[in-house]
Amino acid sequence: MHMVINMSDLIFEFLASPVMREALLPAVLIAIVTASMSVMVMAHRLSFLTVGVSHASLAGLGLAVTLSLPLLPTATVFAVFIALLLALMPRKKGISDDAGTGMLFAGSMALGVLLISTANSAEVDLFGLLFGNILTISPVDLKWLYLMSGLIPALFFLAARAWWSIAFDAVTADASGLPVSTLRLLLYGLVGLTVILCVKLAGIVLTAGLMILPAACAWFWGRSLFSLWLLSVLFSLLGTVTGLIWSYTYEWPSGATVVLALCALFVISWGLNWGKSWANAYKG
Amino acid sequence: MTVPVVQISHLSFGPVNKPILDGISLELEAGHFLGIVGPNGAGKSTLLNIIAGLTPPNSGHIDLFGRCLTRFSRHKLLRQIGFLHQLHDHAPRLPMRVHDVVAMGLANYATPWRRGNQNEAVRKALQYVDMEYLTNADFRQLSGGQRQRARLARALVRKPRLLLLDEPSAALDSVRQAKLFQLLRKLCDDTGMSVIMVEHDIAAISSHVDSVACLNRKIHHHAMKGEDIPEDVWRAMYGDHIHIMAHDAHCIGCSPTSEPDHAHGHQHE
Repeated sequence: MHMVINMSDLIFEFLASPVMREALLPAVLIAIVTASMSVMVMAHRLSFLTVGVSHASLAGLGLAVTLSLPLLPTATVFAVFIALLLALMPRKKGISDDAGTGMLFAGSMALGVLLISTANSAEVDLFGLLFGNILTISPVDLKWLYLMSGLIPALFFLAARAWWSIAFDAVTADASGLPVSTLRLLLYGLVGLTVILCVKLAGIVLTAGLMILPAACAWFWGRSLFSLWLLSVLFSLLGTVTGLIWSYTYEWPSGATVVLALCALFVISWGLNWGKSWANAYKG
Repeated sequence: MTVPVVQISHLSFGPVNKPILDGISLELEAGHFLGIVGPNGAGKSTLLNIIAGLTPPNSGHIDLFGRCLTRFSRHKLLRQIGFLHQLHDHAPRLPMRVHDVVAMGLANYATPWRRGNQNEAVRKALQYVDMEYLTNADFRQLSGGQRQRARLARALVRKPRLLLLDEPSAALDSVRQAKLFQLLRKLCDDTGMSVIMVEHDIAAISSHVDSVACLNRKIHHHAMKGEDIPEDVWRAMYGDHIHIMAHDAHCIGCSPTSEPDHAHGHQHE
């Protein structure tokens, strides 16, 4: 009983704080967008792409700082460019996807660090870039976020079935007349956009967590493509809100707390699933 | 005059000095059931991939339903083709019911806003392969043969005018195999669908198909029903060391003195 009151107190206090109230809507929007895309990231095995693109965006940010360009748009253009580059990289010449991503990842991270460290770094919140800070979201960022969280889900719902077809069986999808390479470019581009969107919440280093964990949790429970998507969104929302409440209560950094909450959900899902199959094995 | 479903002329693929396919010409009428046989590495799958528009040929010309197959026309033409390839994912990861897998074969699956009622088409396709009772089963839990039948239903669900099959019987037992060939025969006769099927076992298919093409880089022979495939064709395809025996007088390509079925197992050097 004490626990329940304590929990509702926490939520009440959380909602009473104006800073948190302001952070809640953007965080929820980011949670929905990333959870949707994370299902495709898992289905198309693009986890490493999200890691690569998020880290590569540091070079984009470094470039923006050096040339005094607006941060978020520059980083976005850069990330999408990198994602498309990886989509177009020839696979048959011995450079596998993961090797290509790895090189780009390290190279652009290095470039980013150099650029940011030589620039007048007083205005750059490097810690915020790396680990995210949803509490410092600016009005301009907010507008950008609203735009993207309309655009990405809209494209997602238009292309979802084609992407499922490709993930399930790319050869047959190609032979049935789907424009597979165009759709793949679109997917990579949107993953790039989504990554930039969640850099604000989780930072460069933790973004991959938001892009992978919701779908990974949902994979244990989903029995159809639709339920997979729905569960992914629910897990993501649960993890984000729980993470924000914890972060407010214990004054932990928001991005890290959200990612940890999602990790906890993953471990719980895993455990329950393992327990279920164990029980099934012994029942029969 | 009816336009042929497939018309291939002088098609070549691969390097000029060592072509994989060389000077292939082929014509297929509506309702025709063509079997393609040949040794491993003969270019059978490559030929199917080229007809399916997956690989552009190096030279030659392909007309599908009377229209030239190009980079630009392929998306439209391919909507009328069912294709079953061999490169299956043996550990499917996506959580899908059999019904959803079959529905993926519908021509307008990716554009759900243009969709009519698909359930009837899916049900019918599953009925063709005797899988109706597994409609709601998890595709990941099926056996290899059941998955293969579900994929076949996926190829049939769009009611294709041309069906391309690359060793469709690979995962099937002999009863299922015979049922599959009978089904294809019936669909060709009833709906005017044409089939090009790559198979290893000529004896199994020969009483069902209309003709057999013997392929090894070139089409060495194209035998119609009731016609023999001369021994020198077998030798040209499989080499000199084949051992030809016969025990079925009704099959295409095997006169009482030849049994090409065994030929496949006796290819030396």
